[in-house]
Amino acid sequence: MTKRLWTTSVLAVVVAMLFVACQATNPSPSPSAPAASEAPPASEAPPASEAPGSAAPPAGEALPAVPTGYTELDTALGPDKPYNGKRVTIQTQWIEGEGANFDAAVAPLEEATGIDVVQESIASQHEVVLRTRIEGGTPPDLAMLAQPSAVIEYGDRGKTTNVATFMDPAKLNSDFAAGFGTALLTGDNGEIWGIPYKVDVKSTIWYPIKAFEAAGYAVPTTWDELKALSAKIVADGKGSPWCLGILDGAATGWIATDWLEDVMLRTAGIDKYNQWITHDLKFDSPEVRAALDVLAEEWFTDGYVNGGYQSITATDRLESWDPMFQPEPGCWMHRQATWLGPDFFPDVRAGGPGTQSQYVLGEDIGIMYFPQIDPAQGTPGLGAGDTLMVLVDNPDRPEIRAVAEYLATPYGLKAWIDIGSAQSANQTTPAEWYQSYKQQVAADIVGNSTSFGFDASDLMPPEANRAFWDGITAWIDSGGTGTDQFVQSVDAAWPQ
Amino acid sequence: MAIQSRDQAEITAVRRFAPVLAALIGLAVVAIGVMILADRNAATNLLGSIYEALGNTQGAADLERGVGDQVQAKLLLGLVALVVGVGGIWMLYIGVSAVVGLASPTWQGRILPWVFVVPAVLLLVVYLVYPTIGTIVTSFTAQTDGDPLANYKQLVTPQFIGIIGNNIIWLIVATGGSVLLGLGIAGMVDRVRREALAKTFIFLPMAISFIGASVIWRFMYEWNPPGQPQIGFVNAVWTALGFAPVRWVQEPPINTYALILIFIWLQTGFSMVVLSAAIKGVSIEVIEAARLDGASERQTFFRVIMPMIKGSIITVATTTAILVLKIFDIIYVMTGGRYGTDVVANRMFIEFYEFFNDGRAAALATVLFLAVVPIMFINVRNLRRQGIGS
Repeated sequence: MTKRLWTTSVLAVVVAMLFVACQATNPSPSPSAPAASEAPPASEAPPASEAPGSAAPPAGEALPAVPTGYTELDTALGPDKPYNGKRVTIQTQWIEGEGANFDAAVAPLEEATGIDVVQESIASQHEVVLRTRIEGGTPPDLAMLAQPSAVIEYGDRGKTTNVATFMDPAKLNSDFAAGFGTALLTGDNGEIWGIPYKVDVKSTIWYPIKAFEAAGYAVPTTWDELKALSAKIVADGKGSPWCLGILDGAATGWIATDWLEDVMLRTAGIDKYNQWITHDLKFDSPEVRAALDVLAEEWFTDGYVNGGYQSITATDRLESWDPMFQPEPGCWMHRQATWLGPDFFPDVRAGGPGTQSQYVLGEDIGIMYFPQIDPAQGTPGLGAGDTLMVLVDNPDRPEIRAVAEYLATPYGLKAWIDIGSAQSANQTTPAEWYQSYKQQVAADIVGNSTSFGFDASDLMPPEANRAFWDGITAWIDSGGTGTDQFVQSVDAAWPQ
Repeated sequence: MAIQSRDQAEITAVRRFAPVLAALIGLAVVAIGVMILADRNAATNLLGSIYEALGNTQGAADLERGVGDQVQAKLLLGLVALVVGVGGIWMLYIGVSAVVGLASPTWQGRILPWVFVVPAVLLLVVYLVYPTIGTIVTSFTAQTDGDPLANYKQLVTPQFIGIIGNNIIWLIVATGGSVLLGLGIAGMVDRVRREALAKTFIFLPMAISFIGASVIWRFMYEWNPPGQPQIGFVNAVWTALGFAPVRWVQEPPINTYALILIFIWLQTGFSMVVLSAAIKGVSIEVIEAARLDGASERQTFFRVIMPMIKGSIITVATTTAILVLKIFDIIYVMTGGRYGTDVVANRMFIEFYEFFNDGRAAALATVLFLAVVPIMFINVRNLRRQGIGS
């Protein structure tokens, strides 16, 4: 009797689970309308005649005009919302503020098309998680990656989609500047493995404006002026010219390689720079050695770096510029890309996210261009950025293409640009969108640049990149005496 | 009488039928559970569909958009996993064993052991044997350019010999250090009045993960330029003694030993606890006999106690050695394998995830596997000799 009772109850549980399972595996499409506050109403979509990038766009405009130049995006933006309720996943390394910025950037598309773009933010180990998912056969639909060399590797392995199969390659190539463009992401047979998205300008030096004024220092515009300024700061007994710390866990070294890349562009020029990326110019070459000599003068001269050169590899990259914020700065210049900003000011870092800084960017803290060195090489710029990969592409899910196409337009980043911190890789982005001090400095650098180089180490094969990071770290620790060892070790690590 | 016998027959039929039913239900529960859990959006879909069934469409829509009761959805899914994992499998076993019970006793004896062993063996094959063979095959086939040994040939370059050399340093110093220290402490605390307290303090780090310990020790080894206040404990003491601050983590070769110290700090407690228990297992009569024969304390420890706990020492040493050979976390967190501290397991990770060198990563994994096997062998043989696991 008890046994029968038991059996009956188990049967009941199974039936209940069956019911739930059927419900769970066949979710009924729900209308899922995002709250109206999240995005401007779709009814304000611009008239079709207005092409993106023409005259100053009205403030409310948040979507590209149809026709956008992209097939699936046009379909998605159609009046009958054919992709309403579809879900598209994208894995990014953006968390907290940056993650919210990306969500805001895709909100207009979600509002207008009903596509649900789900951002899967991986705070650390983004690349590792992504590799595992891709190799495991369950990739996210889309992913953002900062290393073009990895994007090409996924392309060569057939793991990511050639976007030229559904987007006009001519349009892509004209929309994206040479320095950041699709040329960096191209496969052996002309495939385009990724779409550039957000860029950072790296040729920037951050400095305390008010302390500069008080001390009577002028912003250097040439390397000679910069060297004179460095000498003067030390002679005045006002601390060190440079705030420099490259310690960043397993990634230690990239800040120093960025420096070398900026100098290489200015001393060897863009052509040699691009040969250097492909190893047609060896590390053991007069050009690289000359660039290292330039670095050595600023880094290894007594008193030039806060804490001495021995502290460079042992100082945290985020803490290294803290002495710049003192009333009497301990160091005066901090070369770092435009991703830096008020979020990284010491008082905000100490107070946590949401803290209001007592310093104002553009008033207390300024950004200058990393000066020209050899006039013959003009005023080059260095940058890097994030690339979008389309990892799932099948005829049943055209909405993925629509989202990718949206992100290829300047509108895919607009909300992030509007808050004053992002720079689009797309050349057709209207200049009026860039309103903040940082964006204008960055736009000026891009505009005035006679050539533009993409972060060389990110383009080199990963083994070479790693040897480059390790080598320059050891070179710094040697105080510049280990030059032979450094250049030869990177050449040796280059995959055959 | 007749009615009663019909009842009897019915009951017998139910008795014979019930186990089959239970087995089928068990199978169904597991299958449905796997179906639910295999859905990538299982958590939100499950609770979402329940909400929808209850009429809470807003809640369901919220869930689908990635907001709302996400935690509850995950908890519910966890509950399903628990029911399926524990309940379903348990029912499946009961049911299957009951089904086997329907067979004749001779066949029962033949079938039953297999019924219980096969699922475990199957899981081992799928999750252990297959990947191992796959890794070995990959090491000979991936990125070899036609030469099957290409990936192994790359391992004899000076760079990789240095890495393997680091593993050997770890094997000797970390294993030796933690076992000897553990043994010494176990021998000494045996005499301490507050033994439990002393042992607790030494055992305490065991509760910390390698990752957590590495983060702690990063602060311990923190370096500040000479003349500035030293935030790191080690350098604070070091400079107080009048020396210049040392960059413990970045300066080879001292950094490898600095990392090994973290391991010893974590692992000594384990050696101590096991060996202390072994020492307590040595009967007091033997020790008293040794004393009566005029053995000194040292002689008693080295000539009497040590030989008697030899088995435990081997167990602790081999277990620690396997742990050391696989060491990854400390290196990864502290240096990422830089400054000459790289070891095989960390290199394998880098080769695979950073360099996309699947073949070389597989070759490193195979080397590590081959290095662990003899130690495993010693460990198992030792356990068998002690009468455990035979």
